[in-house]
Amino acid sequence: MPDVQALVNEFVNLLKKRKIEGSQATAKQTAELLRSVISHQRVPHTNQATSLINAVRAVGEQIIDANPIELSVGNIVRRVLHIIREEDLSLVTDAMAGFGMSATSDDEDDVDRDDQPALSAAAVAAAARSTLRPPSLQTLLEDVTDSAALPPTPSSTGDSDGKSRSVEKGTRGRKLKHDVIEAVNELIQDITSCHEQIAEQAVEHIHQNEVILTLGSSKTVFEFLCAAKEKKRSFKVVVAEGAPRYRGHLLAKELAARGLQSTVIADSACFAMISRVNMVIIGAHAVMANGGVIAPIGLHMVALAAHRHAVPFVVLAGSHKLCPLYPHNPHVLLNELRSPSELLDFGEFSDLMDSATSLGSLYVVNPAFDYVPPDLVSLFITDTGGHNPSYMYRLIADYYSADDLVVKQRPTTGS
Amino acid sequence: MWWRSASFIMDRQQNEAALKGDTIAPTDSSISNPNPNPNPKTSAYYETRAAHHGVVTSDWLAQAQAAIGPDPDPLPQLRPDPDKPFSVINEFNNWRKQPHLAEAVAAIRALAAVIRSSQATTMMQLEIELKKASDSLKSWDATSISLTAGCDLFMRYVTRTSALEYEDFNSAKSRLIERAEKFGEISYKARKVIAMLSQDFIFDGCTILVHGFSRVVFEVLKLAAQNKKLFRVFCTEGRPDRTGLRLSNELAKLDVPVKLLIDSAVAYTMDEVDMVFVGADGVVESGGIINMMGTYQIALVAHGMNKPVYVAAESYKFARLYPLDQKDLAPALRPIDFGVPIPSKVEVERSARDYTPPQYLTLLFTDLGVLTPSVVSDELIQLYL
Repeated sequence: MPDVQALVNEFVNLLKKRKIEGSQATAKQTAELLRSVISHQRVPHTNQATSLINAVRAVGEQIIDANPIELSVGNIVRRVLHIIREEDLSLVTDAMAGFGMSATSDDEDDVDRDDQPALSAAAVAAAARSTLRPPSLQTLLEDVTDSAALPPTPSSTGDSDGKSRSVEKGTRGRKLKHDVIEAVNELIQDITSCHEQIAEQAVEHIHQNEVILTLGSSKTVFEFLCAAKEKKRSFKVVVAEGAPRYRGHLLAKELAARGLQSTVIADSACFAMISRVNMVIIGAHAVMANGGVIAPIGLHMVALAAHRHAVPFVVLAGSHKLCPLYPHNPHVLLNELRSPSELLDFGEFSDLMDSATSLGSLYVVNPAFDYVPPDLVSLFITDTGGHNPSYMYRLIADYYSADDLVVKQRPTTGS
Repeated sequence: MWWRSASFIMDRQQNEAALKGDTIAPTDSSISNPNPNPNPKTSAYYETRAAHHGVVTSDWLAQAQAAIGPDPDPLPQLRPDPDKPFSVINEFNNWRKQPHLAEAVAAIRALAAVIRSSQATTMMQLEIELKKASDSLKSWDATSISLTAGCDLFMRYVTRTSALEYEDFNSAKSRLIERAEKFGEISYKARKVIAMLSQDFIFDGCTILVHGFSRVVFEVLKLAAQNKKLFRVFCTEGRPDRTGLRLSNELAKLDVPVKLLIDSAVAYTMDEVDMVFVGADGVVESGGIINMMGTYQIALVAHGMNKPVYVAAESYKFARLYPLDQKDLAPALRPIDFGVPIPSKVEVERSARDYTPPQYLTLLFTDLGVLTPSVVSDELIQLYL
């Protein structure tokens, strides 16, 4: 698979040079790359799922390292891993239902299984399915195998793979790959259509004659506002320019071209304007597991202003932005320091910034992101609907399996 | 030395006296008497806690780990005599006396003993018998939330694992007993999982404030120390049973820098603290916790100064309670010694626990994962729906 390696290298390069902008584009390209990785991966007869998972993990590790700040890469890698696990499991379940009883002595360490040969295949399948689900109070007493203690899925499915091999050898291998690719295609479809899905809900949230504040520019927000406009809502938009990239200017221009009354303000005027605003709508860079948001710089300030005046602070985010990690130390871990040229032109103050001479005492810091803590967010609107910040964990449990939270396989030494 | 202090010795004497009362009194009681607690004025749960943590050493923690070896029944001499009538409360008290066992484990072991000695021939009869036993256990010590939660969890398991899956009643019975015996292991494993999950949150150079003695919190800190993390711990004293002193003692043995605070110095030191770590006696449906007296005010101070409050609690402590305020719970009273005689006209607040509402908690570390407080009700609803 040399051509795949070339693709991976090219993608890693693009990520490292920050040539891919925006989490949607990144997510989509990641999914497409992983799709080609899977389709080129030669699968052995046994442990097909494991070999696919290992291949995806190996690639995933490289591309996550290439740009650790772009969390959507890691999200998509984890989603694809989850898809492989799910598809494999559904195949195993089908196969077991087909066999009837032959697979009862699964390798799970249950004493009763051995003296209970009449245990139905459905029960085995249910037990297998529960390994994918996050642990819950319901299953606390049922099984001793702990998902955090050991990764049971690959080994157990690999084992039953070996058993089912005798009956349907070739077809299953192709079927698993086919199913996985199909599901990844669906994922790509979801990523592409997430703007429309979110925009569909616009009329429920934007009401007649309201004033909406946003900062910078986000495609999701643009589509959201346009969708409300198309449904004959008339409202005003206040756009903070979003220094230092001033993408708010572009947004205001585009909105005005669509006939929406928009006002451009400086970022520093947010607090002055907030009392006249009915709602703040912004796009996120990433949504963390605790409901906190990684957002373009300046939004923490807006969130605090909105909180002070009890203005709802609404965050739009496609489900590919949902990250299963916790921001342990958000101020340090998840930020990118961009080039000073966005703040100062070349040549300006350059005598002061020359670090070689003793005069070099001027520094420029240009962080790209803010962390907005969950208690400042009123509502998340994702492609599956509106959610409370404290509900994010449930969406994460749906999209990711607990075994994949750490993609890196080598043991990390105490970070 | 702290254990020689006058108030501690007096506390211990009282505890021992109370414990003796506990062990003698229930022998003549039976299930027919729903509330044979000899001293309903004080909370049996907090008395045992104080007694256990009076002997807490790394030795018993090692014992606890050894006890969860291949032999699920470490103390066979505790089996009730065959000629004596079986009492679930006796059984429970036998288990509870072992300091390494969590309260819920003792409860579930006691219920397993009920199944073992049961004469029932159908699942329905067994369920009714268990229900009676768990009700009498719950009413025997209404102040223990883990006891109630453990009983409820096991009852729920029994109801759901009904004979539908097992045609044979005896195999269902043996399965139930086996699961109950394994529960000690589950509880032990839960602590390990929690310790692992919380490692990400402890960063080098941080200062952690802890309150009282919690086995889970101790496990978390121990693992962090083993992982060579550099952190410092502030321990509150934890009046009146002084559990904080014991924790600081244990931490000093692990070479963790530790500083003792009197309970009233929390606000004074909070600006140096990076995070607050507490255990929980019970986690209620709102996502709030019920814990040793003083937790609420620590959480309030931490919230006021924008410091995260982390709770480490096993998921079997989730209880179906929804307290609206502090006085909503049955008060769990315990003796408090002030060192000097208190005039009889002076009233003493003797409650052993308080309720911390969920808005003051940042995250819960449980064996189900790292959760926001709102997940608790979700889990409970899923289980009891």
